[in-house]
Amino acid sequence: MIRHFFKLIWNKKRSNALLIVEILVAFLVLFGVMSLMAYNYQNYARPLGFKYEQVWCLNMHWNQDTTQIGEKLKSIYQRIRTYPEVEMASRTNGNTPFANNQSNRNVKYKNVNIQGDIYGTDEHYAKTLGIEIAEGRWYTRADKGAKHTPAIINRIAKEKMFGKDNPLGKIIQLEGDERWKIVGIVENFKQHGNYQANTPAFFNLNDWDMGSVLIKVKPGVDANFEAKLMREIGAMQPEWVFELSYLKTLRKSMNQQTSIPSLIFSIVCGFFLLNVALGLFGVLTLNIAKRKGEIGLRRALGAPAPAITIHFVGEMWVIATLAVLVGLILAVQFPLLNVFDLEASVYVVGMLLATLTIYVLVTLCALYPSIQAARVQPATALHEE
Amino acid sequence: MIKLSGIEKVYRTSSIETLALDNINVDIQKGEFVSIMGPSGCGKSTLLNIMGLLDEPSKGEVTINNRQLKGYKDKDLARIRNQEIGFIFQSFHLINDLSVLDNVEIPLLYRPGSGSKRRELAKEALEKVGLSNRMKHFPTQLSGGQKQRVAIARAIVGRPSLILADEPTGNLDSNMGNEILNILLQLNQEGSTIIMVTHDENMAKRTNRLIRLFDGRQVS
Repeated sequence: MIRHFFKLIWNKKRSNALLIVEILVAFLVLFGVMSLMAYNYQNYARPLGFKYEQVWCLNMHWNQDTTQIGEKLKSIYQRIRTYPEVEMASRTNGNTPFANNQSNRNVKYKNVNIQGDIYGTDEHYAKTLGIEIAEGRWYTRADKGAKHTPAIINRIAKEKMFGKDNPLGKIIQLEGDERWKIVGIVENFKQHGNYQANTPAFFNLNDWDMGSVLIKVKPGVDANFEAKLMREIGAMQPEWVFELSYLKTLRKSMNQQTSIPSLIFSIVCGFFLLNVALGLFGVLTLNIAKRKGEIGLRRALGAPAPAITIHFVGEMWVIATLAVLVGLILAVQFPLLNVFDLEASVYVVGMLLATLTIYVLVTLCALYPSIQAARVQPATALHEE
Repeated sequence: MIKLSGIEKVYRTSSIETLALDNINVDIQKGEFVSIMGPSGCGKSTLLNIMGLLDEPSKGEVTINNRQLKGYKDKDLARIRNQEIGFIFQSFHLINDLSVLDNVEIPLLYRPGSGSKRRELAKEALEKVGLSNRMKHFPTQLSGGQKQRVAIARAIVGRPSLILADEPTGNLDSNMGNEILNILLQLNQEGSTIIMVTHDENMAKRTNRLIRLFDGRQVS
C-alpha cells in the first residue's frame, strides 16, 4: 500500500510540487524555531554557576573627579563592609552579573588560542556570589605579590585550552604579553543570564580602580538599608553618581532580552504554521471533492471506510515525507558545517521536533477531510463521476 | 448465486419522495449471463448498485451465495465486494495517475498478499483481455475499448464469482462494443456469473436471460 501511495504521489508530482514546497518551507521555519528553543532550553538547564539572591550591585561613576580614585573606592568599600546588614562584599570591574558590559580578550596556551570573558575581581568575589570551586582554590590576598597574576578559569575554558590535562599551575598568556597562573577551576559562569551559553571565563585578581561592588546582604535586609546605604556613601563622595540594583531584578531583565524575542519569533511562526495548516486543509478538501469518483471506485472495489481515511492521510504523509527528506538534507548541513558554532545536539533536537510537528500538523489537517471522504456513499460518488 | 426479494428503493428529499425500485424479485443462478434493460431512469443502475452492495435497499432482502446480507457491517460488505464481486462501469473509472498495471492491481490492495503476487495476478488478468503490451501505459494513452478492457481486467483480477457490468459498451462504438461483449461471453463460458445493464437490444439477445424494468418495476 505504501508503494501505491508513493506511485500516486510521484505520478502527480507536478500538482503536488507546491504542496511539497509549502511543507518544506514550514519544516525549515520549524527547524529554526525548534533549534532556537532547544538551544535556549539547553542553556537554561545549565546552572548559572553563582547565586544572585540577596546580592546587590553598586556601580560608582566618579565623573570629572580624577584625584585618588583608588583610595576613595577603597574607603567606600571598607565602609560598606562595616554594615552589620552586609554579609559579604566584593569589588569587581563593571562586567558584573547580568550587566550588559562585557570584557573579552584572547587567551593563549601553547598553540591554543581562544577568546574568553575576563572578570577582574578581588579575593571575595567567589564567596559573595556563592561560586563553588571545582578544582584548586580561589585566589587570596597572599597571591598579590606573586610573579604571575593568579587566575581562575571555568570548565569550558579548561576543556578548550587544556583538554584532559590538568591546568592548575599552568601559565596562560593574554594579549599584550600579560601572563596569568591558573590556581583554580569553577564549573559554569553565565554572566548574561540563564539563556547564555556557557562560554570560557577567566577571573583574575585585580587591584585597579574597580568601580563596582557586589554586596551580599543578610536575609531580611530590605529597602530601608538600601536607602541608608545610598545616603551614607553618597555623602562620602557627593560628586559621584551611585547606582544600586538587585541581581534578582537584573537577571529577570537580562533573561527577557532572550525570552521575549524568542516568544515573538514563536508567535510569528505559529501564525505561519496556522496559514500552512489552513492551506493544507483547503487543498485536501478540494482534492477530495475532485476525487469523489476515485473514492467511489475504491469503495466499490472493496475498500472499507477506514481504508479511505488511511488512504488520504497516507498520501499526505508521503507528501510530507518527501518534503521532510529534502528539509533534513538541508538541515543536516548546519551541524556538518558547524554553522553558528552550536552543539550538534541542538540541531538534532531541532530536526526531530520539526519532523514530529510536521507529521502532527499534516495528520491533523488531513484527518477531517479524510474522514469526510470515507463517509462518501460509493453509489453516489460513482454517479457524480 | 444472487437473490433479490421484494426490493424497494425510495429516494427522499425534504419535499419529494421518488420510488426508484418497486418490489423487485430476481434469482440469478451461478454461471448465468443476465441482461437488465429498460429506458433511462427506470432504475437499472440502482438495481445493479443494490446487487453490488454499493447501495442499500429501502425494503427487501439481498442474498449472495446463500448469505442474507441484511445487517452486515460496512467492513463485511466491503470484503464481499472485494472478494466476490467485480465491477465494470460505463465510464471505465480508471485512475489516470496510475499505470494500467497499477489500476488492475487496485482490488488486490484491499486483501492480504504480497506485492509480487499482486503484480503476477494483474499481469495474468491483462493477458486475458489482450493488453499485456500496454501494462506500463497510462489510461490517457489508451482508446475507449482498451480502457474498458483494462476495467474488465481489474474486475476479474480478484477472481470474483459475480461480475456486474453497468452499460460496459455504452461509451464505445459498435466494433469495440462487440469486442467487449465477446470478452464478457468468454468469461461467462469460463464460469463467471455476469449481470449486465445495457440499452442495446442486440447485445441483450446474446445473453442467457433478460430482465426488463419500467418505472422501477420488473416487467419481464
